[in-house]
Amino acid sequence: MTKLRFFDCNCSIGRVGYPHLLDIPDVAGLRREMTTAGIEEALVYHATARYGHPPLGNALLLDEIQDQRGLYPVWVLLPHHTGEMARPAQLLDEMKEKGVRAVRLFPGRTQHGFSLADWCAGELLSALQSARMLLFLDIELITWEEVHALLQKYPRLPLVLANCSYRHNRFLYPLWERFANLYVEMSRFMGAGAIEDVVRRFGSHRILFGTNMPQYTGTAAVGRLVYADISRSDKEAIAAKNLDGLLGEVWS
Amino acid sequence: MMGYFDRIHAGIPLRDVEIIDLHAHLGPYFNMHIPSSEARDIVRNMDLCGIDKAVISTTMSFEADIVLGNTMMLRALDSFPGRLYGACGVNGNYPDLSLAELERTFSRPDVVMIKIHPYNSKCRLDDPRMDSIFRFAAERQLFVLVHTWLDGDPYGNQDIFAEVAQAQPQIRWIMGHSGGPYGSRHAVELAKKIPNIFLDLTLSMCPARQVEYFVSEVGSERVLFGTDNPYIDPRPQVGRVGLAQISDEDKINIFSANARRHIAFR
Repeated sequence: MTKLRFFDCNCSIGRVGYPHLLDIPDVAGLRREMTTAGIEEALVYHATARYGHPPLGNALLLDEIQDQRGLYPVWVLLPHHTGEMARPAQLLDEMKEKGVRAVRLFPGRTQHGFSLADWCAGELLSALQSARMLLFLDIELITWEEVHALLQKYPRLPLVLANCSYRHNRFLYPLWERFANLYVEMSRFMGAGAIEDVVRRFGSHRILFGTNMPQYTGTAAVGRLVYADISRSDKEAIAAKNLDGLLGEVWS
Repeated sequence: MMGYFDRIHAGIPLRDVEIIDLHAHLGPYFNMHIPSSEARDIVRNMDLCGIDKAVISTTMSFEADIVLGNTMMLRALDSFPGRLYGACGVNGNYPDLSLAELERTFSRPDVVMIKIHPYNSKCRLDDPRMDSIFRFAAERQLFVLVHTWLDGDPYGNQDIFAEVAQAQPQIRWIMGHSGGPYGSRHAVELAKKIPNIFLDLTLSMCPARQVEYFVSEVGSERVLFGTDNPYIDPRPQVGRVGLAQISDEDKINIFSANARRHIAFR
């Protein structure tokens, strides 16, 4: 088997206050981790946009990855009501101009302090759906009821759950039975045989390759996929093509 | 011969190096759906990436019934001799029953370790009810695998584990998960102070460069290969060690040479 092309949907740059182990704050550090694991391309958000302030981190991101081949920007967004970010229509124009095709939201009191409900994030979520923007949410920060409500309300908004673990199949499977716009990235989706089971039941298009580098190593997710007991075409889809396809639909 | 990087990226199982998984289990489990939980599934997933042997225990032994769990473990060993070996599950809440289980399971040559999960059993590792279990292990100089976490675990966190390991120098202590995703630095601090502590790589949230960090700080002779199969798939761990920026000699130590030095697999 020739080497798969890996396009990682779950990477970041920037220093974090509580690193898992090493301080790997910059593009060079991320590149080193990618090279070690054999990963060619990545969607990247800035840790400062998550742990500092979204507008500041988003600006730093564009500055730090400009001219970096194979690294693509992910912005962290807020609803517009406080004026920290532009209204959704204007925000989308700016994102289109800057080549941003994926976003992350960190709702909840302990995170960015807003709600995913319509009265708070409805205008933003509607705009994201109209652009077919790829939306990443960390399942450790929201409830499964919120996920269900989001999928039901925004059926054309591609939602990628990050941080899903080997303990989540009983939540995920009923949602996959009902909703076509739900995806999982595989940085922690490591239950024994889970990839094979999901591919058999729901299809390989439901899973995106992700690592959470440089907090986690990329080598674990690579090992999981290269040895998966699925077809070569399913491996290629998970490794890169699913993400290629979803990004290709943004603005369509 | 292709190097590790090329073979792993080609999906070729690592057959030229023996791989022994010292931290594996057997399903199913109340808390999650495990698609590949039975013994045949466990061995199938081992085959796909080149794992030769696994030492298994059941979580059934810690949150449910240690006798049932150990019996399930022994049945799996009967089904896959030479591939699966046993870690007897014990529970400090049942000291007499635990000792009886140790006597029962260690009457077989393919039961080679002890597994303790203080957090799930809610019995502190330093509870006096553990003493007879430790005596059994010390007399035989066994490997004892203990689930540990950096914080949020008042029953078996890294500091409790280290105190017990220091007090029981005849036992070879495996710091399960090495204290979890944020526990690496403290794991190294403790391993440097206490020579009978070994570090375990088993994790689902694998910090970047953890393998390299452990090897550079305590030496590859103190690092053991483990997967949590089938709660966690074993294949990521083969990728993690195989692709780590360490020497081939260090990889061989981690994959199996360390286990071979201390355990007679018959």
